[in-house]
Amino acid sequence: MKSFSPRRVVAMARKEFRHILRDGQTLAIILVLPVFMMFLYGYALNLDPSEIAVIVEDAEGSRESRFVISAIDASDMFAVVGTRNAAAHPEALFRGQDVRAVFRIPAGFTHSLRSAGSPARVQVLIDGADPNLATLIRNAAAPLVRGASLEILGISPPSLIAPLSVILYNPEQKSSLYFVPGLMAVILLLISALLTSVTLVREKESGTLEQLFITPLHPFEILTGKMLPYILLAAVDGVLVMAVGYAAFDLRVKGSLLFLSFASLIYIFAGLSLGLLISTVAKRQQHAMMLALGATLMPSVILSGFIFPIAGMPAFLQALSHIIPATWFLEIVRGVVLKGTGLAELGLQVLALSVEGFLLLGLALLKFRSKL
Amino acid sequence: MKGLLVVVWKEMLHLRGDKTGLRLMFLVPVVQLFVLGYALTTEVKNTPVAVVDYCACEQSRSLAHTVLSHPLFRSQGFVESEKQMRRLMDRGEVRVGLVIPPDFSMRLEASWRAINSGKSRPDRGAPVRVIIDGQDGNSSQVAGGYLQAILRQWSGQRLEEQIAGTGRNVRQMVPVEVDEAFLFNPLLKSSWYMVPGIAVLLVTMVTALLTGLSIVREKEAGTLEQLMVTPIRPWQVVLGKTGPYMLIGFFELSAILLLAGLWFGIPMRGSVFLLFFFAFIYMFSSLGIGILVSTLARTQVQALFMIWFFLLFFILLSGFFVPIQNLPGWVQNLTLVNPVRYFMAALRDILLKGSDFSSLYGHATSMLLLGAGLFGAAFLTFKRKVE
Repeated sequence: MKSFSPRRVVAMARKEFRHILRDGQTLAIILVLPVFMMFLYGYALNLDPSEIAVIVEDAEGSRESRFVISAIDASDMFAVVGTRNAAAHPEALFRGQDVRAVFRIPAGFTHSLRSAGSPARVQVLIDGADPNLATLIRNAAAPLVRGASLEILGISPPSLIAPLSVILYNPEQKSSLYFVPGLMAVILLLISALLTSVTLVREKESGTLEQLFITPLHPFEILTGKMLPYILLAAVDGVLVMAVGYAAFDLRVKGSLLFLSFASLIYIFAGLSLGLLISTVAKRQQHAMMLALGATLMPSVILSGFIFPIAGMPAFLQALSHIIPATWFLEIVRGVVLKGTGLAELGLQVLALSVEGFLLLGLALLKFRSKL
Repeated sequence: MKGLLVVVWKEMLHLRGDKTGLRLMFLVPVVQLFVLGYALTTEVKNTPVAVVDYCACEQSRSLAHTVLSHPLFRSQGFVESEKQMRRLMDRGEVRVGLVIPPDFSMRLEASWRAINSGKSRPDRGAPVRVIIDGQDGNSSQVAGGYLQAILRQWSGQRLEEQIAGTGRNVRQMVPVEVDEAFLFNPLLKSSWYMVPGIAVLLVTMVTALLTGLSIVREKEAGTLEQLMVTPIRPWQVVLGKTGPYMLIGFFELSAILLLAGLWFGIPMRGSVFLLFFFAFIYMFSSLGIGILVSTLARTQVQALFMIWFFLLFFILLSGFFVPIQNLPGWVQNLTLVNPVRYFMAALRDILLKGSDFSSLYGHATSMLLLGAGLFGAAFLTFKRKVE
């Protein structure tokens, strides 16, 4: 057995670098895709609703009912796009249109409001098709109508308790502050798992990998040399995401950048090991891409809590989500960036990532050896 | 016409020969439907909640238990201090917290006296603090709203009990009631909204991706050139190669809709015929994308990447899980040329709302225009490239 030589590893890495620099497509994936994704997700993934289109059915048409309508329209949450008299089939209002709710103010609204008898009833019909939006509408509608009605009477709502909300970590509730750090998890995996598996399989396909193995280079020198440029590129992308986040989305890292870099390296290591494992299984580039996209990237976007909260999933998917490295890294990156937490709070996540990285590497090396 | 049938026949033979590919073609969407149908949920439930009870009196215990035992939350129990609570929130073990100050029962008593004395603008009530992990704006807004509603409910119940003790009518105090009703999806099931969306994604994948790949594969192998020197015309090649995938698309759509109804219990309130009509005109757009990509890409890997890239963009801006009204104005204008958007809306409306053609003809027109544009452009590019 030849001894492991850093010089030969560097030579291998330089060869790989030349490949990357010559291939426009790879460079585009590395440099353009992350920035593009950041802007897309940063601006488009905005789940906070505002100015939801609603229709008001005003069966009374009094000064008071108009006051309630103007209060609905004036709120940030709703925009009244039409008022109409009571209709027979309100369902039709929701079909093929953007209308998400109908507020129905009954005739005799003011009378019931001012008299001591039964209370005035306002009905809110909500389009339940999108349950998330429907919940937000429900949470906002009742306090708004109640507040406006009580203002007509000039009284405050009698309440025994007065809750005061404190919002931690992201007080302005900006979606971009949540999604942009999360993109780190997706992009780093894209570079480390996808690109390495595809390039390794490409050399396998064209037969140059076999040629490399008959050179005096030790297989592990070849592997390390091939991985090195991707570690570097992933690191560059990590910095790129943070820099664009800083400049375009006002992202400020509350915790330690050093710890974040350290955790990112562990995550990249896990991603590379995964890429290596895929490359030992896949015979063709197309398979490698399918595997990398379908088996690693898709679940990392969907099951990791990047967009969809894990707590809302059924138990078996929750268990599955904790096998995915991105889930752990997401908790780390959001913790450091938004909460300012460090190793003390995130020790478990760092440990889980490291264990997964070594497990994947071990599996890949076992497979790799048996192939040789 | 004969040339067209020959190409269709050839493509069918290819498909039949690739057993693994065929199996994947049907297995992958079904697996995806199940995983995504359950995973793509925006429902906010099981939010971990904890209470700091500095008052430790009878009223504060009652309030704390109401919050902790609520089915929408997952109880993390009582926490000793706010500092401890903050630590738990830092670690992500608690996402919503309630802090009850030591003078809670005293202030409660005071606000009751103020209400009872009949002042029109009584004291605001006993202060409590709600601490929300605001990282994820959407979930925290929903969870915070739940907690506020629970607090309001508790306060209302106490008030009612106490007013009943004085023999007065509680209705005088709360002169307005707001009733909410959810239409179309009364139980607010996420899957009802997401599964039709997933059907759109899967149909798009099958038609755009498979067509693109099958053309590029022939390009790579050089058989496309051979095909071009035969008397078969370019339009026959394009239609012959897309036709079979359209059929597969229809087959998959039917399978998914069947599963949606039988497994997820999603209603089919509109006309199946109308739905398939929309799928038909939609496929011109998705097949057009596949052909366009195949003219641009030199290798299958490139084609795969380009289609993935296109779809990422189209799907995110289709209203699949981010309502289009939420997008910034200029992005909303961008979605006007997104065929996925119209099919997504039409499919959901037909399934859940029972919409008929009269309310969806706008979508149909846009889809027809986009389909004609995309398919036409794809065909012309293809023809120019091969000639």
